[in-house]
Amino acid sequence: MASTAASTMVPRTMSQKRRDQLGRALLHAIVIVLCFLTIFPFFWMLSTSFKIPTEIFTKDIQIFPHTPTLRNYPNAFRTFPVERWLWNSFGIAVLTTLGKLAISVPAAFAFSRLKFRGDKLLFAMVLATMIVPGVVTVVPNYVMVSRLGWLDSWTGVIIPSLPATAFYVFLLRQSMLTLPQDLIDAAKLDGSSTMQMLWQIVMPNVRPAIAVVMILSFLGAWNQYLWPLLVLNDFESKTLATGMQYFTSNQDSAQMWGPMMATAVIATIPPLAVFALAQKQIISTFVTSGIKG
Amino acid sequence: MGSIRSSVSQSTATATATATAGAQPASAVPHLHLATSSTRRPSFGRLLEGATPYLLVAPLLLLIIVFIYWPLIYSSYLSLFDWNFVKPNKTFVGLDNYTRLIDDPRFHRALRGTFVYVLALVPIQVILPLVLALMLWPIRKAKAQTSYRIMLFSPTVIAYSVAAVMWLWIFNPLQGVLNKVLATFGVERIHWLSDRDTAIWAVIAVATWKTLGFHLLLYMAALEAVPNDYVEAASLDGASNWQIMRSIRFPLITPTFFFVLVTTVISVNDDVFGAINVLTEGGPFDSTTNIIYYLYQQGFKYFQIGAASAVSMLVFLTTVILTWLQFRFVERHVHYG
Repeated sequence: MASTAASTMVPRTMSQKRRDQLGRALLHAIVIVLCFLTIFPFFWMLSTSFKIPTEIFTKDIQIFPHTPTLRNYPNAFRTFPVERWLWNSFGIAVLTTLGKLAISVPAAFAFSRLKFRGDKLLFAMVLATMIVPGVVTVVPNYVMVSRLGWLDSWTGVIIPSLPATAFYVFLLRQSMLTLPQDLIDAAKLDGSSTMQMLWQIVMPNVRPAIAVVMILSFLGAWNQYLWPLLVLNDFESKTLATGMQYFTSNQDSAQMWGPMMATAVIATIPPLAVFALAQKQIISTFVTSGIKG
Repeated sequence: MGSIRSSVSQSTATATATATAGAQPASAVPHLHLATSSTRRPSFGRLLEGATPYLLVAPLLLLIIVFIYWPLIYSSYLSLFDWNFVKPNKTFVGLDNYTRLIDDPRFHRALRGTFVYVLALVPIQVILPLVLALMLWPIRKAKAQTSYRIMLFSPTVIAYSVAAVMWLWIFNPLQGVLNKVLATFGVERIHWLSDRDTAIWAVIAVATWKTLGFHLLLYMAALEAVPNDYVEAASLDGASNWQIMRSIRFPLITPTFFFVLVTTVISVNDDVFGAINVLTEGGPFDSTTNIIYYLYQQGFKYFQIGAASAVSMLVFLTTVILTWLQFRFVERHVHYG
């Protein structure tokens, strides 16, 4: 808009207009190249996952599979317990998301709508956790989790990762603060308890923020790597992100790359599907808050 | 554990925390007066209402104390001991774990890698997307924008380790598509991941692929947030597009620039962990290792719990210092729109 305002200032000649168009075309070309480079690894993974071994190890570059096959998918499940990994990834991601919601929504409500002794100090304690990198607590938490007998279990992955929710508490609290006071007062006059107020009045009104928190924590839990890598040592207890590594032990075999890429496709579908369903919200939340999955 | 990037909003968080705490005194201790009028002795229900705020925050705070604050203290304690995780007794060694790092050539290589990642990825992840964002600004209203954004953003939502597996195939020396493409230009086979000179660049390429689009969108959003009035006023004064870009848009997006800069410096070494572990395991000859990978190897490959804890304390202190610097200097010396 600004540039059109500027351009109306000076009368333009035909050649200038044409130069502008050419410039734009060039810019589009640059972005398209950039998009192509970004998408290519995804495409290459997908294409390889449908190729037979003789089309995977070739002399020249073979963009598309000539004789597309689905064999690599069942083969992946036969080589490694991929269905267990998928189930573990899914269970851990869903339960982590629910757990994070269960602790962050009530806390955000208390910090935004209730006044109590020490509330500012406690909220500061929550926010201060944002400067503690996850890797710093990994050693002592591993010691603790192994003493509790939680190694190789979902519990061991989920419980210690629940408190990393400071940002979600902040996000939910901001959203709850925008609710009109009348709404809360009316609920109070109706004689509803604090818990009823949270459940019946506040939560239904901050659904968009809850959705954002759910999406972000699902992506985060699905993609987490270091912590499950340490806690889940048992072959069957791995997640997709951590189990995929078993495939990489045999890189010289054409038989291995197809199933490996098939597993990678399976591991990327859920986050890409979530992204496809809510791309506007995800991009805008990531961009305004500067966080990464 | 999830890598949540703390953000510029940290400062706003504390600001709004103080601003709004006084704004809703009405909601404090809800309908306590109703309870007092109906009962003489404190009833169970009344006590429960008074305790409600604490019950609401208790699960979160309990977990934070047990799994974040206590480990921080415990880690500093462990850093003073020699312990291999299985030995029943820990031996107190004072600051030995710290001083030993100074003599450890592997630690030196880890520090070197840490700096290489930062020095390489600051221009690639901080400056390159900014240049691209400024370049793409004129075509921001194009119909294809949404498709561009979806494509550029897509690597952000997948796992680093899975991204690394995809790239492992591309980098494969014999059958990888990268060497095949280069071969058509007459380039001889490059062993990307097993050559000391190229391996770290392969990891950096994956990190770039994973983050470039995201940072580009961060800058585009910042550019869009620049108030139109400023731009219009300047163009009425006869400023050229380039002058507007240089004197108005760029200064106003400096907060985003510094935010991307600081978060890149703080988290880039953490981010590449998954890629390092899948692509190179720190090798060849420790050429792709960094401080985070060194910590992982000390703790979970060699079971040097004391040494790993010492490294984690160093990582923590560095993060605190960088965050402090961000608050102290960066936020003061940038323009806000």
